[in-house]
Amino acid sequence: MDNVLHILVVGLLVGGIYGLVAIGLNLIFGVIRIVNFAHGELVMLGMYGAYLCYVTLGLDPYLSVLLVVPAMFVVGVVVHRLILQPLHAESSMQIFATFGLLILFQNVVLALTRGEGYSVPSKLAGLTIAVGDIRVTVSRLVIFAAVTLAAIALHLFLQRTLIGKSIRAVTQDRQAAQLMGINVERTFVITFGIGSALAGLAGVLLAPIYTLAPGIGGNFVLAAFAVVVLGGLGSVAGAYFGGLIVGLVEAFAGFYIDPELKQAIWFLIFLAVLVIRPTGLFGQVGAEEIGFREQG
Amino acid sequence: MLKPDQTAAVDPADPALGLISWQRVALLLAVGLTAVLLPLALAGKDYFWVNILTYTYLFAGLAVAWNIIAGFGGQFSLGHGVFFAIGAYTTARLLLDWQISPWIGVLPGAIACAVIGPLVFLPTFRLKGSFFAIATLAFNEVGFVFANYLDSVTGGPRGLQVPFRAGLIRMTFSDPRAYALVMFAYLATALVVVIVLMRSRLGYYLLAVREDEDAARAAGISVRRVKIRATALSASLTALGGGLFAMYVRTIDPLTLFSLPDVGVKFALLSLIGGIGTITGPVLGAFLIIPLESYFRATLGGAGPGVHLILVGLFMLLAALFMRRGVAGAIDHLWQYWQHRRRR
Repeated sequence: MDNVLHILVVGLLVGGIYGLVAIGLNLIFGVIRIVNFAHGELVMLGMYGAYLCYVTLGLDPYLSVLLVVPAMFVVGVVVHRLILQPLHAESSMQIFATFGLLILFQNVVLALTRGEGYSVPSKLAGLTIAVGDIRVTVSRLVIFAAVTLAAIALHLFLQRTLIGKSIRAVTQDRQAAQLMGINVERTFVITFGIGSALAGLAGVLLAPIYTLAPGIGGNFVLAAFAVVVLGGLGSVAGAYFGGLIVGLVEAFAGFYIDPELKQAIWFLIFLAVLVIRPTGLFGQVGAEEIGFREQG
Repeated sequence: MLKPDQTAAVDPADPALGLISWQRVALLLAVGLTAVLLPLALAGKDYFWVNILTYTYLFAGLAVAWNIIAGFGGQFSLGHGVFFAIGAYTTARLLLDWQISPWIGVLPGAIACAVIGPLVFLPTFRLKGSFFAIATLAFNEVGFVFANYLDSVTGGPRGLQVPFRAGLIRMTFSDPRAYALVMFAYLATALVVVIVLMRSRLGYYLLAVREDEDAARAAGISVRRVKIRATALSASLTALGGGLFAMYVRTIDPLTLFSLPDVGVKFALLSLIGGIGTITGPVLGAFLIIPLESYFRATLGGAGPGVHLILVGLFMLLAALFMRRGVAGAIDHLWQYWQHRRRR
């Protein structure tokens, strides 16, 4: 029983990380229909942003959120305007372009850091909290809290604000939204900015936990893809709960089957979901086909 | 939607539509292959360039194979690394355990992939566009995990080593030009297969399915059967290339075989940059990218880690932005412009 509880906690905390990375990815994927292969690199840039704030300003990573997240919003806006917007009708070229971005970002950082691994210390992050036998570090709890808050905030933003409503309208029917006077291109730019900012948030919060390396984004982004498909295209709740499910599956499979196979198991689940219910657990039925047809 | 633009598909000059005669196809193929082989003669004993050419031929062939299901079939697979790896492991394993000559040893992997390919893609054919891409990406990751796990078959993370013992039967040569010729033969085979395919009934069906699945079905085409056959062909050609790759590098491990930027996604990149859904596109892409990449790596390797890849990344972005239809599309555009001017 103790074991089960322990694995549950570990799984939920890991799931929080996946969820946080997946929320931004899912927003971009769901609204703009771009498979953003460079999303992990946006997370990586967020991590290095936190490092930069620490080295130059001596900021604790949790404070540098205030600087890095807006900066990543700007990065997202620039990337979308310069690269993805001109390619809006050609999704295979968009895949190609985001892969080019992935290679570019990774290697610019590699060239700048000369492959040295950095770490970002935080006084807060190292602390542990013990509940009974189970000890958890503050850094992971912060991520869990952040993903929960981010999911709620994003949900309210999409439901209540005018921009959020226009994003939802564009998701449902691009042409109808345009006919209703919504500036679709501007909505896309804002969406990509928000997605990028969320990736930046994930990066900053992950910085105290992992040693920084240019290729680190790949560790999260493949899981995040699985989360997106599992949870459902464009669904905030889907990304949140999908992340937790993937984290739990990974933890339990790692313990009861074989830690080496844990990834294979969540990928198999992901494949099963793709085949049985392509819209994901929380997605709207048919959303994945309508969106693509519209674009053609 | 993941497909090249519609006007390109109905262009009467497109050899994919089979509107040119067999004689011209044969002529074009002969001229093209000679042009492709010429650099090897020029490279002579300069092994730096021979090595680059060997990779170029191999990856041109692999991109041609990928293009069958992805370009002509509109199924944008990112999971071809699995077939590549199956081919590589089978060939190496057969040689190591049973001393089976790789000339024969590449075949079982190819035949297996003709069955495995459709089997793994079958459940995902319903998915469209990016969804199919992500699902096949997942296949690649599952393959990677299992290749690491199945120690007794794949040698685990350490991989398999084929000892160097030169001999024609072992497909192990001391002169690297021999490898280049083997890869060239592979490229020629892939091209012939694609040209024959695209002039066959199956080729027309495949284009019809890509352009409009519902309309194709209404016209009496079994969409599923067409996709299965094209996948079988594409997967087995890819496995063939994987087997040859194993014999060339002689050390294969999961990290190399399932690498996305170097294998699984590379096929797609080469085809996209050359011109997806055309016969020449993947070959053009490979002849542009592989030498460029190798050259950057060799000349800028000393400038610091990652510098050559920064250029590759930039190049990809610029190519995506300014050559939407790839090199083949750009050439086609110039050709039509020229024709247009001549007519006036």
